[in-house]
Amino acid sequence: MKNRLRVLRAERNWTQAELADALEVSRQTVNAIETGKFDPSLPLAFRAARLFGMRIEEICQDQDRTNRETKIKHDSHG
Amino acid sequence: MNPSQPRKRACQSRLLNITFQLFSWVGAWLATCALMSFGPRFLWNSATAFTLLAVGLNFCAGVGLIVAHKRYLANLDELQRKVYLHALGITVGVVLIVSLPYAVLDRFDIVHLKAEVSDVLILMTVTFLASLLNGLRRYR
Repeated sequence: MKNRLRVLRAERNWTQAELADALEVSRQTVNAIETGKFDPSLPLAFRAARLFGMRIEEICQDQDRTNRETKIKHDSHG
Repeated sequence: MNPSQPRKRACQSRLLNITFQLFSWVGAWLATCALMSFGPRFLWNSATAFTLLAVGLNFCAGVGLIVAHKRYLANLDELQRKVYLHALGITVGVVLIVSLPYAVLDRFDIVHLKAEVSDVLILMTVTFLASLLNGLRRYR
């Protein structure tokens, strides 16, 4: 799963620690999510969505689906 | 982000408190283990009533330790819980795959080292700490 947590955080000038506090998780967890090493649970994804005022799909994308869509686009152009 | 600060402090303080409780129960359990092991020989000259009392105390401390451990796990965040449970899973697996073959080897006199319960505890502790540190390093 891909996510835009790092970008959204950077846009708000928040540190990882500040985001971790707001999401009530450790800074290590925020870092692991941002680097794609760990996928957040649904409750945590909802908390992030509420915090950024967005829908979950705007923050997290299914990597397989993104790849499939890119491939379909590429095939239709080719 | 300021509104999150009091909530953060409350969470951290709760986790610290629960961690302290867990360590207290570990200490109590170890103390009652020592009492149960050495008391009959050095403190009450093998009096059965005191030995039973020490075993009962150890059992109660063990139950307290399990409850404190469960509460500690419930208060970890999801990544910490994943790493912790992963380490526990590896520990159970290692103890099983080492102790069962060892018992067979011992039964057929292939190994002559006398294994004690304390050896299993040491194996569990070392495996758990190594797995935990490895998990923490992986998600650093």
